[in-house]
Amino acid sequence: MPLLVQAIVNGLQMGFLYALVAVGLTIIWGLMEMINFAHGEFLMLGMFGAWWLSVTFGLDPLLSILPIGLLMYGLGVLIYRLLMRRVQRGDPFTQIFATVGLLFLLQNSAVAVFTSDYQYLSNTLLTRLSGSNLRILGINLGVPLLIGALLALVLFLALYLLIDRTEFGLALQATAEDREAAMLVGIRPQRMFAVAWGLGAALVAVAGCILANFFAVYPQVGFPFTVLAYAIVALGGFGSILGTLLAALVVGVVQSVTSVYLPPAFKDAFVFGSYILIGLLRPQGLFGRF
Amino acid sequence: MAASRVVLAAGLILAVAYPLLLQWGGLPFYQTIGFLVLLNAMLGIGWNVIGGWAGQFDFGPQVFFAVGAYTAALLFVHLGLSPWPGMAAGVLVAMVLCAILTYPLTRLRGHYFAISTVAIWMIAQPIGATWEYINGSRGLFIPVETGQGPLRGVESLQFAGRTKALGYYYVALALFLLTLALARLVERSKLGFYFRAIRDDQEGAEGIGIDSRLYKVLARCITAGVFAAGGVLYGFWALAVFPEQVLELNWSTLPIMATVVGGIGRLWGPVLGAVILIPISQIMSTTLGTGPLAGRGIDLIVYGVIIILIAAFRPTGLLSLPWARWFRRSA
Repeated sequence: MPLLVQAIVNGLQMGFLYALVAVGLTIIWGLMEMINFAHGEFLMLGMFGAWWLSVTFGLDPLLSILPIGLLMYGLGVLIYRLLMRRVQRGDPFTQIFATVGLLFLLQNSAVAVFTSDYQYLSNTLLTRLSGSNLRILGINLGVPLLIGALLALVLFLALYLLIDRTEFGLALQATAEDREAAMLVGIRPQRMFAVAWGLGAALVAVAGCILANFFAVYPQVGFPFTVLAYAIVALGGFGSILGTLLAALVVGVVQSVTSVYLPPAFKDAFVFGSYILIGLLRPQGLFGRF
Repeated sequence: MAASRVVLAAGLILAVAYPLLLQWGGLPFYQTIGFLVLLNAMLGIGWNVIGGWAGQFDFGPQVFFAVGAYTAALLFVHLGLSPWPGMAAGVLVAMVLCAILTYPLTRLRGHYFAISTVAIWMIAQPIGATWEYINGSRGLFIPVETGQGPLRGVESLQFAGRTKALGYYYVALALFLLTLALARLVERSKLGFYFRAIRDDQEGAEGIGIDSRLYKVLARCITAGVFAAGGVLYGFWALAVFPEQVLELNWSTLPIMATVVGGIGRLWGPVLGAVILIPISQIMSTTLGTGPLAGRGIDLIVYGVIIILIAAFRPTGLLSLPWARWFRRSA
């Protein structure tokens, strides 16, 4: 029983990180209804950025969140303006191809620059704290993961307030709801889509900065996270920001609990199995409004 | 019409003669490139049925590639069954499994269907890596039969020595031509028209009495059958079946990219795409050799750029360009 509780608590902490990974896709896919198969590659770029800054300049990954976030925001906007705007109105297939091409380009550019070797961060704030535990009610909380999870939660809530409570967020939602009507009230949809791509890329790259403390950094790290993010967004109900948070927590717990009782290789199988089941039985997602 | 017949005849002669010249020149490596081009073209033709005609983006056909490879390898290793009946069994198992898995998924549409096929693949990977009956991640090795003539080679799908690359090339060519002929048959049959009707207007198609779910399942089963046959050929060529190898994402992305580059929904699209794309990767890996850029994914960067350009400027593929008009003008 304590094993189960411990697994649930660990899963919840990972869930907060997953929420930050997935929320960028909630905006691009759930809200703006554009597909992006290169989502995990943005995460990979964030991880490599954090690793590179840490190795070359000794900058802590938690501090590199700011420069990497800004840089990836720019990259996201650029990708929308140069590529996605072109394929946005076409057949949905062209969006899939364009972003799969982007996946190949980004992933293998990372191979070309950094090789496929696994890189590990050491001597960062969080890795130095590894091994230190908080013990609450007989449950061990690893301090590094706890800090990472809390940081992710804070960023996530900031984004939620931005989308849900500001005029800018309302303009974004209005564009997603009805492009033509939004134009009538003076919103420029192209700008909104560009911002959505910028935010999506920046958020997942920031998540990458935090994850680089816990996971190996290598060029192929992104794709499993892409699929995971799709499962989370679909489970959460498309475009629902808080739904994404809840779904990410569910996914974290499912992964963590299944890996207690089954071979660890199966931890994702249950997540994807539940994606299919939810899609079939409750297409609006676990927490969807429609 | 006459011009396209000439191109077709020239292509066929080239396809048959190409490896023979290399055999004299002692360049079996280029025969292997031909083998991979034909294998990927064949898979692309198979993918075109679900992706191009039925309009359902399937990212997970490599699951059926693996099912075919494993079925034939298991029958060969445990029962000594020769690979051709093994291929028939692999195709059958893959199609039945595909029907069972796909029918529920056809409730999902568009992106959601696409991601559910990825999800099936993600679930298949740990099963392949841990299932003891198929030897888990240790994989299955296919015992080599030595000292046999070319005829016995065709029968046992094993070619040794100097004729190895040549033998597999011609087997791949035969399977490729068979797939092409079958796809042409499907394209012109009622089935093909139903598939395209569902792609173009699912509600309209249902309105005139086409059961869209049934025909989507049929389309994906055809795709699965082609992938299973390709998997059997690959397994015997590699003399081993490993989960990471037969379930690799490249077994869907390369045929899909070939289809898109050549022309999605066109019979010859995947063929043109494979002829362009596959040699890029193979020739690059030899020219880069052991230099500083070897093994750095340069070929895949090129693929990425090509696919981005096609998606942005000509999503209907190279075959959709107005070739006929250009030729008439220059003539």
